[in-house]
Amino acid sequence: MTAIKFGASTFIWTSPFSNDTLDLIDKVAGAGFDLIEICVEDPATINTKAINKRLLHTGIGALVCGAFGPDRDVSSDDPSIRANGIDYINICSDIAAELGAPAVAGPMYSATGKTAAVSAEKRAEQWKWASENLAFSADHAATQHVSLAIEPLNRFETDLINTVDQGMELVRRIGRDNVGLLLDTFHMNIEEHSIPNAIRRAAGKIFHFHSCANDRGIPGKDHLPWPEIVNSLSDAGYTGPWVIEAFNPEIKEIAKAVSLWRPLAVNQDAIAYDGLKLMKSVTSDAITGDKII
Amino acid sequence: MFKYSYDALVYADEPIEKSIRRVAKFGYDAIELVGEPDQHDTAEVRRLCKNNGISVSSICSIFFGPERDLVALDPEMRKKAVGYAKSVVDFAAETGAPTINLAPSPVGKLVAVGDKQQEWDLALESLGEIADYAEKAGIRTCLEPWNRYETYFINSLDQALDLAKAVGHNNLGVMGDSFHMNIEDVDIAGNYRKAGDQLFHVHFADSQRAAPGAGHIDFAPSIQALIDIDYKGYIAFELLPAAADPFATLKSGRGDEFLDHYTRMAIETIKTVEAEVRR
Repeated sequence: MTAIKFGASTFIWTSPFSNDTLDLIDKVAGAGFDLIEICVEDPATINTKAINKRLLHTGIGALVCGAFGPDRDVSSDDPSIRANGIDYINICSDIAAELGAPAVAGPMYSATGKTAAVSAEKRAEQWKWASENLAFSADHAATQHVSLAIEPLNRFETDLINTVDQGMELVRRIGRDNVGLLLDTFHMNIEEHSIPNAIRRAAGKIFHFHSCANDRGIPGKDHLPWPEIVNSLSDAGYTGPWVIEAFNPEIKEIAKAVSLWRPLAVNQDAIAYDGLKLMKSVTSDAITGDKII
Repeated sequence: MFKYSYDALVYADEPIEKSIRRVAKFGYDAIELVGEPDQHDTAEVRRLCKNNGISVSSICSIFFGPERDLVALDPEMRKKAVGYAKSVVDFAAETGAPTINLAPSPVGKLVAVGDKQQEWDLALESLGEIADYAEKAGIRTCLEPWNRYETYFINSLDQALDLAKAVGHNNLGVMGDSFHMNIEDVDIAGNYRKAGDQLFHVHFADSQRAAPGAGHIDFAPSIQALIDIDYKGYIAFELLPAAADPFATLKSGRGDEFLDHYTRMAIETIKTVEAEVRR
């Protein structure tokens, strides 16, 4: 079994990522991560040349995730917003390709925070728009040799795709080989009957994984069943990265976007550093045990 | 054995008689009533409970909207909110419910209007006044933390304990709802234990807010913790549909599983866990 690659999301410390925060790449590399997940909140602030220079210098790789506000909604009622959503995902794919990232990840089927109860007809229409439009984006991504990793979110953040089963159905309807799922344990803890079983049901389509604590604090210092999660990912044949995603409560806009009202560790570094240590420990324990190899 | 209750909140608009009959039928000791005093005839509630052999365990106060904000900056609005809480205390007294829950700020209010310290101070003032009033009526009050998507004020049991401690009134404790705690607390059973004799009330729901047994929470450690702290209150099941606005789901006519099916499943599951833990 190849060693797991661990990553840290730029959201742990900053928002939006830009030329002013390039030092995060050195920080993440210095902490022992293999990868940095860069969130493209505003493509205009992403300088791929400058980022690549740092990546080369530090020897770590990049991953790309998108941020889906109300103006980037591929299942919106408004055709111009749907078009803007497709354009944005396509730009993210171009950025991913330039950074050597394998995928664009995120809840790209809707606007995060859209949770209105809608009629069955409207819901069916949203599914149709999401499936069709993400197929367009998938085709563009394929030209860049990039995949799309679609993230189900919990009920308080979206009304469209909350569970792995819904995510798998969306992937099926999009019908493109380069489309799979990003599974995030924070959301799964709220929505799945069993996190490990849900992971197994996504076998073959898990393109990316966020190892987050149940409260988005330090993963491993929480109540999630990490050994079983490791085993289920192994059963599902997942060999991709493990990325810690958390958010900085000091940055008002992002705190509001993810409803984070209190610090979840002594500081943001602790979430990354202690989290990395604990995630390395749970994965190596499971891997050296009898159950896996 | 613990005493069990089911929160009528999820029964939405059905006649109270039907709700009381249902919980009695499935072996509950009590029902938790929705904290809308105007929508209940307390004499009728008492009669129905007596006839069906159950009690009222608690009143689930509905802190929703600007008129029920205990930290509202406008003194008139705050007075309305405190008045509402007192009306719930009266409602509890009239229906024989020993406990009501309190939330410093309404559900869905996600941004502080004043600064943090100012709102904290107002919370102490409002909560102290309500706890005083309730004590005279022989009703216990407890703070309920909600998950981050429902309030900015107190999300974890630790925060509720801090707030209760700051109010410093022996008639104000805390309550812990396992659905919210599954999101916000890294050790659910440990936090029930930590609350100890300040734990006045408990809500159980599984991880996705359905009946215990439908999700992934292991309730055995929590039951053990409640036994160890000699918890004398009710275990009440507050279940709601999986949506940011569960009441919209209920209004649209969905959620039938929360009637007979989950009412039965919740008590059966937890009584089985309790029996195993006590064995």
